[in-house]
Amino acid sequence: MKRTTKTPLAWKNLTHDWRRLAVAIAGIGFAVLLMFTQVGFQNALFDSQVKIITDLKGDIFIVSKAKYTLAAEKRFSISRIHQARSCSGVRGAYPVYSELTTSVLRKIDAGRGNRGYPLRALGFHLGDPVFRSEVIDQQKDRLRSPGTALIDVKSKARKFEFDMQKPDELSQYGVELAGKKLTLVGTFDLGTDFAHDGNLVMSAESFAKYFPHRKRMGDPLSVVDLGVVHLLPGFSAAEVKQRLEDTLDKDVVVHTREEFRAAEIKFWDKSTPIGTIFLAGKIIGFVVGMVICYQVIYSDIADHMPEFATLKAMGYPTGYFIRLIMAESLLLSLIGFLPGTVVSRALYAWLAGKTGLHMLMSLECIVFVLIATIAMCIASGMLAVRKLLSADPATLF
Amino acid sequence: MDSQTTIPATSGAFAEGVQLPKTVSVTGLNHYFGEGELRKQALYSNNLDVRRGEIVIMTGPSGSGKTTLLTLIGTLRGVQEGSLKVLGNELLGSDRDLIVRLRRQLGFIFQAHNLFESLTAFQNVNMAAELAGLDPGIAAGRIKSLLTRLGLSERIHYKPNSLSGGQKQRVAIARGLVHKPRLILADEPTAALDEHSGREVVTLFQELARDEGCTIIMVTHDNRILDVADRIVNMVDGHIKSDVAVQETSVICEFLKGFPLFADLTPNTLAEVADQMMVHKADQGQEVIRQGDAGDLFYLIRSGSVDVTVDDGKTRNKVAELKQGQFFGEAALITDEPRNATVTAREKTVFYGLGKDDFRKVLETSATFEQELRQALFNRQ
Repeated sequence: MKRTTKTPLAWKNLTHDWRRLAVAIAGIGFAVLLMFTQVGFQNALFDSQVKIITDLKGDIFIVSKAKYTLAAEKRFSISRIHQARSCSGVRGAYPVYSELTTSVLRKIDAGRGNRGYPLRALGFHLGDPVFRSEVIDQQKDRLRSPGTALIDVKSKARKFEFDMQKPDELSQYGVELAGKKLTLVGTFDLGTDFAHDGNLVMSAESFAKYFPHRKRMGDPLSVVDLGVVHLLPGFSAAEVKQRLEDTLDKDVVVHTREEFRAAEIKFWDKSTPIGTIFLAGKIIGFVVGMVICYQVIYSDIADHMPEFATLKAMGYPTGYFIRLIMAESLLLSLIGFLPGTVVSRALYAWLAGKTGLHMLMSLECIVFVLIATIAMCIASGMLAVRKLLSADPATLF
Repeated sequence: MDSQTTIPATSGAFAEGVQLPKTVSVTGLNHYFGEGELRKQALYSNNLDVRRGEIVIMTGPSGSGKTTLLTLIGTLRGVQEGSLKVLGNELLGSDRDLIVRLRRQLGFIFQAHNLFESLTAFQNVNMAAELAGLDPGIAAGRIKSLLTRLGLSERIHYKPNSLSGGQKQRVAIARGLVHKPRLILADEPTAALDEHSGREVVTLFQELARDEGCTIIMVTHDNRILDVADRIVNMVDGHIKSDVAVQETSVICEFLKGFPLFADLTPNTLAEVADQMMVHKADQGQEVIRQGDAGDLFYLIRSGSVDVTVDDGKTRNKVAELKQGQFFGEAALITDEPRNATVTAREKTVFYGLGKDDFRKVLETSATFEQELRQALFNRQ
């Protein structure tokens, strides 16, 4: 028989002693904060790895089959781009060129060369709509003169000592790229990541001039790092992707925007220690939370052993006690989660301001931490419930 | 000859009237604590029957096993040896479902109140009402009237923190009674209470026993409430030393007092005499004693009637007709001569018999009446 007006024992026991409740909330909130920090940092770092994808304008991307990450310098033939253009549903397909290891930028002060540092040089045909950034669009004319480039304002200041705040004065710096003179004509905003300490954007013609050896014999622009495909209205990415896969030679891989992002994040997550480090961080948060939660529930049980034993004597079955502690754990996780989330949000804002990382509290991230918190509390509740089940009503008389 | 039984007279088992069903039936119950070499026996072949509506008080020094017996009856401990039936269910080897089902028909009152600090008096009592599946409206009414009855009407929605020890105990008592249990097991229920509320609690017990047929077994040392007991069970060292029906014992004592030789005995001694008597039964026409036989028993007629006849060698003359509360058989015991008359049951008759040795011992005690009085006065302090 179901009754609706059951005495809410779990809630009453939890909220009876406000001091204990405050400690519990603080403890679980702290665990929530720990997990949020880990998830936040991880997402921020992964976000910065795929920032370039976010900044590219396009629906479908083509990369060499051998390119396991954006930073891997594996290229494919320009003819794949031409083939892509002929596919139905494709409005345009554009090559993006990228160079890292040979792209060493060096500042020359008063005729003396400083040490040079590699950064990512991106080349594109100025007429191709490959960047979302309006800042790049507006400065296209400046890039028309050969030997010019825009520099990323977020390039690491320690290695690339330019005064980014005054873009018009950048041209006065003496700069060499890959041993040839370069004029910086402005800035744009992309951001750094694990592989890239800075970025340059230039026209494909300039790019060919600086990196003539990309292809041993022939046109350096005949090998492409990244193909950006735009769709005609009314075509779905999945459908066109399928068509491209059928049309193009098998030395390239075709990704939709989401797949491309996911594949890149997967590389950093699974193939580098980053994922493991953050996983460890999350586990530590989880375990800390579990210990605190166990402590709270266990001491609550331990303080009420005679009462629980009395309930047993009255004929409350084992299932009731398990449900009771489950409910208590669930309540505990929820009332600990709320303040934990609020504090984490504040911490995110502060960290974002401090580090320039993209600390975003996405719904996904909130759901993940919520589920982890509930799992943590219920797991520790189930560990603690054994104590309750050992309550012996025979000791009451 | 009559048929002798092994039933003590004071057990009340042969009182007149309808015999109510047994709520608790303990037979040959042994219990041990500890394992291996440390194993220690706590109960020694206990036998106890408690019938519906009876109020039983268990007494005995601490460590005598009364609490162990109470926890066994309350299904709070597993039965190891012997038979224990509660509300018709055998507990030896019973499964958990049965235990849980059975517990819901029991009412427990523990020495400690064991109330949840987080719940109000009402909610604490309601924990028991909910389990019994009472309709919330009915339950609320019953909880309120019970708490009011126990003098807590002003404090129904107070938490235990703002209640005194006695008030908490009364809330715990209400919790033990609210679901109308068929058997109440209580441990010193009145220890924390003042005389007035203690009296109120036992009056409540009596009403439940009378009106609801509720059986009550309580351990108590509170002699202010001994008067409510139908039976008093005394335990010593794991043995049930005595198990007497108070009403029946008092009836026997009244009868014994009417016997001239016992007229000077104190109630204490009379009760001891009653304790030594055993139940005997005879059918209509059956001879209880025969003239000329050696005498070994003193008889008290509990119910029915007998004819006394004397055979003078030629004819058999009826000399008397004895009824309930009357005696026979004492002459042969006093004079050590054979029976001087034959006694025949006129109908189905129950007697309480006292053995020759015991009878003589009582007579000797009678002589030391004054001494016993002195002893009693000395012990009064």
